[in-house]
Amino acid sequence: MKSNKLNQIILNIFMISLSVFCLIPIWLLFSASLTDDSEIIRNGYSFLPKDISISAYSYLFDGSLGIMNAYGITILVTIIGTVTGLALTAMLAYPLSRFEMPFKNTLAFFIFFTMLFNGGLVPTYLIYTNIFEIKNSLWALIVPSLLMNGYFIILMRTFFATSIPRPLIESAQIDGAKEWKIFYSMIIPLSTPVFGTIGLFYTLLYWNDWNNGLIYITDSHYYSLQNLLNRILQDIQFLQSSTQMGNKGDELVANLPLGSMRMAIACIGIVPLLIAFPFFQRFFVKGLTIGSVKG
Amino acid sequence: MRKNALKTVLFAIMALTLVITAACNNGKSGNSDTTSNESGETSSDLKPVNLVVAFPMVTDQKDMELVQNEISKITKEKINATVKLVPIGFGAYSQQKTLMLSSNEQVDLMISGLGTHSQDVAKGLYVELDDLLEKKGKGIKDAFETTIGSDILNAVKIKGKTYGIPVIRNMAQDISILMRKDLVEKYKIDASKIKTLDDLDPIFKIIKENEPNITPIAKSSNSILTVLNGINGELLGDGTGLSNKDPGLKVVNWFETEENAYLLNTVRRWYQAGYIDKDSATSTETGFHLMKAGKAFSYPNLIDPWFNEDSSTGRETVVVHLKSAPIATSSINSFMWSMAKNTVNQERAMMLLELMYTDKDVVNLLNYGIEGKHYVKVSDDIIDFPEGVNASNSSYFPAQVWMFGNSLLSYHLKGEDPEVHVKAAAATKNALKSKVLGFNFDSEPVRTEIAAVTNVMNQYQVALETGMIDPATKVPDFNKQLKAAGMDKIIAEKQKQLDAWAVSNK
Amino acid sequence: MKNEVAYKSQADHSKMKWTAKLALELRKAKRYRALVFMALPGLLYLLINNYLPMFGVVVAFKNYNFTKGILGSEWIGFENFKYLFATKDAYIITRNTILYNFLFIALTTSAGIGTAIILNEIRKRFLTKMYQTFILLPHLISMVIVAYLVLAFLDVEKGFLNNTLLPMLGIDPISWYSETKYWPWILTLVSLWKGIGNSCIIYFAAIIGIDNEYYEAARIDGANRWRQIWNITIPSIMPYVSIMTLLAIGRIFYSDFGLFYQVPLNSGLLSSVTNTIDTYVFRALMTMGDIGMSSAAGLYQSFVGFILVVVSNAIVSRKNKDNALY
Repeated sequence: MKSNKLNQIILNIFMISLSVFCLIPIWLLFSASLTDDSEIIRNGYSFLPKDISISAYSYLFDGSLGIMNAYGITILVTIIGTVTGLALTAMLAYPLSRFEMPFKNTLAFFIFFTMLFNGGLVPTYLIYTNIFEIKNSLWALIVPSLLMNGYFIILMRTFFATSIPRPLIESAQIDGAKEWKIFYSMIIPLSTPVFGTIGLFYTLLYWNDWNNGLIYITDSHYYSLQNLLNRILQDIQFLQSSTQMGNKGDELVANLPLGSMRMAIACIGIVPLLIAFPFFQRFFVKGLTIGSVKG
Repeated sequence: MRKNALKTVLFAIMALTLVITAACNNGKSGNSDTTSNESGETSSDLKPVNLVVAFPMVTDQKDMELVQNEISKITKEKINATVKLVPIGFGAYSQQKTLMLSSNEQVDLMISGLGTHSQDVAKGLYVELDDLLEKKGKGIKDAFETTIGSDILNAVKIKGKTYGIPVIRNMAQDISILMRKDLVEKYKIDASKIKTLDDLDPIFKIIKENEPNITPIAKSSNSILTVLNGINGELLGDGTGLSNKDPGLKVVNWFETEENAYLLNTVRRWYQAGYIDKDSATSTETGFHLMKAGKAFSYPNLIDPWFNEDSSTGRETVVVHLKSAPIATSSINSFMWSMAKNTVNQERAMMLLELMYTDKDVVNLLNYGIEGKHYVKVSDDIIDFPEGVNASNSSYFPAQVWMFGNSLLSYHLKGEDPEVHVKAAAATKNALKSKVLGFNFDSEPVRTEIAAVTNVMNQYQVALETGMIDPATKVPDFNKQLKAAGMDKIIAEKQKQLDAWAVSNK
Repeated sequence: MKNEVAYKSQADHSKMKWTAKLALELRKAKRYRALVFMALPGLLYLLINNYLPMFGVVVAFKNYNFTKGILGSEWIGFENFKYLFATKDAYIITRNTILYNFLFIALTTSAGIGTAIILNEIRKRFLTKMYQTFILLPHLISMVIVAYLVLAFLDVEKGFLNNTLLPMLGIDPISWYSETKYWPWILTLVSLWKGIGNSCIIYFAAIIGIDNEYYEAARIDGANRWRQIWNITIPSIMPYVSIMTLLAIGRIFYSDFGLFYQVPLNSGLLSSVTNTIDTYVFRALMTMGDIGMSSAAGLYQSFVGFILVVVSNAIVSRKNKDNALY
């Protein structure tokens, strides 16, 4: 038992150093977001800024950008997207994990194929705007290319196939339970770790997505947080590097706090997710209790 | 229990989504209803129409919709059309242009150019405008005639046809060096004696020796030479150019010329003497920002010929004019207005465009918003922000005057030179014009080569033009790679098209 | 139940005629229609979102004209693909893309598994949660921002390394953005920093999902922790490792554009070690924005990945059907 305690210490030291490795740049990010811009240009980024300035944050939150509205859109889209995405994914992944599923391999290939080949931006856009007319609507932020991801389906299928004991399903079948019932009352509760993981991935995906907004949204009322922020980043980048714009570009970005704002943008994108993390970790805990106590 | 809860949540969310979307759609259709209802009131015999105008804009203007409604009031009365303004971020603009025009979304007028005009025209994005200009856009032609000259309008023709109307703005610019005024005075530098780049060395030396924290010269956009290249020749894109020494029209590989070698050697000399920042090639801060932060003494830029001092960076600078940059096709067609192939009504779109070039109220609504709300008049042509409002907190201040139609119709912000429009018109009309003004290269036949050459240029050009690498050894490598990538084919194609253009233009 | 057993044994019968197979599948479809219905919404979505737009790949073989549309534009054969192979860069970009991807796959996978196992061994639950959160944070930051963070470390004059760390060690400042030799390491480190949390969380979920009975049985047999990890944990997560790797192989010709373009600040001097297929395509089309040429690149990347996955999946599935993709 003694060596066990030692083990724990070594393991913890390892994890702490890994965490530090991951956190140091984030700390830099945060402190840079609080540094004045001319200070950044003069002395570079530093871990402990001399003069703390919140000008980047006050610029972002002064109301003219509509950040609060964008937060609202992002949260709504993330919740709807994650829940429906998770439901659809599980409903497709579960049958594929069962050998009774007809055309199982063909369908798995059908899914895998979508992960490699796509029609490209223009055809996808044509279908979504001409047939489904989702441009400038909330659907645009939820449905295209995010709602279901082949990667998650295959991951989930693997989980169902490896972690759900086959005899459990068989005994339920003997008891005469319907497939839907087995799925709801047995598979879902048994699979909380994977629901937690995939749910987290969906959340990250929706939260961080700006590509759909870039493509399908031109009306600023529907800007999600990342859209709003990435638009600023993209514009700065374009204006500074475009030879077409010359000094006009410089003048246009002159009034934006540059270095610190980029960092502030990243920070305000991260914080809400930090708050949401514990929620997902509850799923893991449930998974643990079902797998009963270890070690 | 659990099952039911999950189901309820799912349904609730689905229902919520449906309601929200339904609401959004209702909102939309509601809008279009009102526009068609209003139409009956005007006595005009024109059918009412809603026109969509798309353009790049750097930040979203909160009151865009108010301005749009004000403009619609004017257009309703004059041409029985309402206007929908669609601002799009600069970074997303070209992608959004591609997407909107490959679907059948309504876009009537849009900003075109931005370096890809001839490709865009070749790909069929825009409507040919000549007939329309004749029939419904006489005012535009007149506006050019009376201000900066019709040759500007004619220069953007492709194969003899007009697909874009340049913005009416000052186009006469000088290749200049901006220097910090306080330091120029402190070290008693006589800026009027600077005639060539070589004259700059002793000045940079003084700065380097006395101001250790200040870089003598910083880059403009990508490199030190982005602007200065024009001193010795005219670049035609893709690494090709015309030498200033050559009186004829011989297309050359710009990186093989003596003129470019002189520039590269100068920059290299500056770099080795420490006049250029070591990280200049990769830095994201251009001279403008370094000047603003007090880190740079000077940077090259294109400046209006009548400007001798500039303070756009927030610091007083002295402008040293080195040479006037001839007006070239590429500077005219960087911002133009074109009619998208998706337009619902060509004639009316042209009429709206005419208003943007002739109607002072429309132009100023676009530029400065609504009088009394976004600006107040100081005198007839001079305006100021209302109290408590400034450029950064205004709910409508796009600061893109050089983009909306006829910029010479815009008001002057207090503090601006009130004569600036007159000067601009005269300077542009009388400016030195490029000898290939009006030539537009069609890159279609050499797409593969351009793709490859662009990649090679990316490897060398910026590093050379910021002095990072030695031109003596690297330029030969560079040219060898350019050749391998198909440079000769591009030059031959350009020469062929240019010769054909010269013949038809005689 | 009898029927089911019959299906099972028949399904293993790979030498069956295809008509018989089809009939069997159809019978399954009838009997297990609940499963089919369950899968239907998802399949339908894929059909619309992924398969319907696929007619668009024809653009890669056309000279796209907006007025004529995708179907009306003229065919030009493989013209759009030519630029991908036009220079000697073709070799460099292919080499870079593949080598970096192999390295990243190997490192992220092994680091992810290792961290997941360690996390699972840590007994204080709240610490586990905390570590998990921390190592996932880098995943949330976009590459544009990462590029600035890297710059903060590597900036020639103001960077943390040249300014603070190297002087402390008595090393001369290094011009990071013009020296190619450091970049394979820098890019790998950044990729690992960003990817480890993601990879760890997948394997962690897999480990949690392992039936505890296996461990108990092992403990009764007197196996120590190391043995348990080696004999139970690792084999149990092998299907995940195998599938994740197969999926990654499918994207072996794709590279993280942000990592290779933004992080080295588009420095031309580094292009021999940072130019990948994606950055090449981006730069090539910057001035032209040609839809045909960009879809040609995508098609080429997908096609190579596809062939590789089909081959490796066949190999995997011969060894163990459970570890295969399909």
